[in-house]
Amino acid sequence: MLGLGIESTAHTFSCAIIEKKGKKGTILSDVRKIYRPEEGEGIHPREASRHHVENSSIVLSECLQEANTSINDLDIVSYAAGPGLGPCLRVGAVVARSLSSFYKIPIYPVNHAIGHIELGKLLTGASNPLVLLVSGGHTMLLAFLNKQWRVFGETLDITLGQLLDQFGRSIGFASPCGKNIEELASSSSNYVSLPYSVKGNDVSFSGLLSATKSVAKKNKSDACYSIQETAFAMISEAVERALSFTQKKELMIVGGVAANKRLSEMLKDVCKRHGCKFFVVPLKYAGDCGSQICWTGLLESQVKKSASLKDTFVTQSWRLDSVKVDY
Amino acid sequence: MKLLKKGAEADIFETKWQNSKAILKIRKTKNYRNPLLDSKIHKQRTIKESQVLSQVKQIGIPAPLIFFVDLKKSSIIMQQIPGKPIHDLPPSKIIPLTKEIGKLVGTMHKNGIMHGDLTTSNFILFKNIVYVIDFGLSQNTIKPEDHAVDLRLIKEILNSAHAKIMESAWKNFLSGYKSVVGNAKFSKITNLVSDIESRGRYATVV
Repeated sequence: MLGLGIESTAHTFSCAIIEKKGKKGTILSDVRKIYRPEEGEGIHPREASRHHVENSSIVLSECLQEANTSINDLDIVSYAAGPGLGPCLRVGAVVARSLSSFYKIPIYPVNHAIGHIELGKLLTGASNPLVLLVSGGHTMLLAFLNKQWRVFGETLDITLGQLLDQFGRSIGFASPCGKNIEELASSSSNYVSLPYSVKGNDVSFSGLLSATKSVAKKNKSDACYSIQETAFAMISEAVERALSFTQKKELMIVGGVAANKRLSEMLKDVCKRHGCKFFVVPLKYAGDCGSQICWTGLLESQVKKSASLKDTFVTQSWRLDSVKVDY
Repeated sequence: MKLLKKGAEADIFETKWQNSKAILKIRKTKNYRNPLLDSKIHKQRTIKESQVLSQVKQIGIPAPLIFFVDLKKSSIIMQQIPGKPIHDLPPSKIIPLTKEIGKLVGTMHKNGIMHGDLTTSNFILFKNIVYVIDFGLSQNTIKPEDHAVDLRLIKEILNSAHAKIMESAWKNFLSGYKSVVGNAKFSKITNLVSDIESRGRYATVV
């Protein structure tokens, strides 16, 4: 089966084609164009959606070319229906609907966050993991139980991605700032004490954000080093708590912040202590991409009929723990 | 010494204290954590845990007795409760016990104590009495928001680890909690719980 997936929840507009044979999936192409705001600024939903509109046709045709297929070969088309920024989501949905209605291809709306998890499972081979989803939109610990992903811990306010981005912007970086912070952090080893807030399996980052901003006024690299050490230690502790509570023997980390080396180094150590296997999604597929949408759509198509056009909604707020998973 | 459990935070050993069985809880250094941060956390939590364990005994909460605290090693020797964690009991047994758990949490809150880690593995059933353990994240606080965070956590745990019995277990918990804290505090705290939930990511439909 051949699927096309369209991702447009935030910065990234991406199309991907995956061929599914049995339980195996092969990514034939995954093309992306990423909206970059100016330095010191965050994502502007209107500007991002304009970027997506302008790039959508180029990305789609490159994606088809790379996969060496034509639209007529596609069995299904899926798109990210949420959660995300309304204006951005609509662009992907419009492209998917147009293809579906003009070429009569079955259409599947997909939850973006489930996409991160399913693609992670496909690429890492994890079978029954505790999942740490860390991105700009999510900071969640999840385990699969009774046909649903259940939340075992999450952030009570901002996400890890937001923490890094908002702090990064305050010292002049452009979003996403994770990489810049990681680079500057490696030039310091001077730990400045910062608020550490773990509440059971949950974490809270807002106090840490304000405190780090004032540390940065004195020394930026100390601030970068300390915010990473503190925030990642909080996440690692929450992971340890969830691991020991759920007794899972696998940990899988997915989402944009999975690209951070210091974070995965710390989590590797956690896994060693608990005798569990550690899976990290390959760097190229850690961030938002069409593949995550495409693969989830293909999985859904095994058990569900395609949506009729009037039901091809987009929802800015769509929690992944409200999605029934039947495949 | 026999290792009983490798917890998230500490290792639990079986040991002896004056000829009777006891538990040694020791917070080990975590390699992944910055040493300064690590020792700060250990010290704080060891002190807090032993303090609050003594406090809750005074307000009639069944909890282990403290025998000895060693701040240098971040270790506590305490009474062993040889029962079973609520988490491991069959669902039909958990449902009625959640009312008792609600009462215990209510009593702690009424006395200005937030447990901080209300999971079903931190309550132990022994000889038909529910004991509360693991006070490492506890705080002395009368702030309603803090108490609401406690409730939200146990709700999250019921909703994930005990999804099948969530509704009745949560209802029982609330009725037990209400019977101790009274109507006014009850509605204040439960409203705050909804508040915190609505702050969660993607919680409300826009």
